[in-house]
Amino acid sequence: MTATSNVGQQLRPGLWETINERYPGSMITKRDSVPLAVPQMSLATSRLAFVSSAGVQPKGTLPFDVVHPVGDYSFRRVPSDARTEDLEIHQIKYPTSGANRDLNVIFPIERLQELVTDGVIGALTKDFFSFIGYNMDPERLEQTLAEEIAQAVVDQRADIVLLAPA
Amino acid sequence: MSLQYLKEAAAGGDTETLIRYIRLHLGDGNDAVGRKEIDKAWIEALKPLLDLPPVDREFIHDTLRTKDPATLAHLFFDLHFYLVQQSGEWIHDGNL
Repeated sequence: MTATSNVGQQLRPGLWETINERYPGSMITKRDSVPLAVPQMSLATSRLAFVSSAGVQPKGTLPFDVVHPVGDYSFRRVPSDARTEDLEIHQIKYPTSGANRDLNVIFPIERLQELVTDGVIGALTKDFFSFIGYNMDPERLEQTLAEEIAQAVVDQRADIVLLAPA
Repeated sequence: MSLQYLKEAAAGGDTETLIRYIRLHLGDGNDAVGRKEIDKAWIEALKPLLDLPPVDREFIHDTLRTKDPATLAHLFFDLHFYLVQQSGEWIHDGNL
């Protein structure tokens, strides 16, 4: 969505119907969308946070709860300087075979590290943030998980945030 | 299905909606696949018992006696996924 998009308009309305057929009642329509913030500084001087629903987490941490019928409302901190071999995916609702060969296709941590090295991005927040997208309680998702991640992003003094669904 | 949708189904005794949701969850969004996955788990649960090996029934009894209903229900879902994984036919690679 760009700053000129109509607030509340879905970019892929057909996708919504498809998902509602598969999981009736799972999709909600937001009428009170918050307008996108306009960047106040250049990317080259900004600290970037990355938030992903790919279910990526450091190896050895408690796996996301992928079996729970109503979903997992926790998130994991992923150190932004982590190497891909130190990370793993715990998610069973999207194709992971490609991501298991190269995590960057779904969680581009090394590409972001390179963009900092090349001076395209100013810096990365200490941590990135990841959760799983299989959540059947939109209110809990919005009022707990989203709020907790938002606070964590603010606490790490991010100037911009890259949001990536899986 | 949203949680509210499921709660209303549970309150209204709409078991067809509830079991369909479980099939969708276990079948990664496919009702028929979910039904097959449930069958697969039960077959895998049966196989190790056919030779009547010793089992830790004390552990099972204590677990059922001491753990809360939500933990046991969650364990049931964990066991389902564990058993279908044991079958060697793992469909949960996200290729819906």
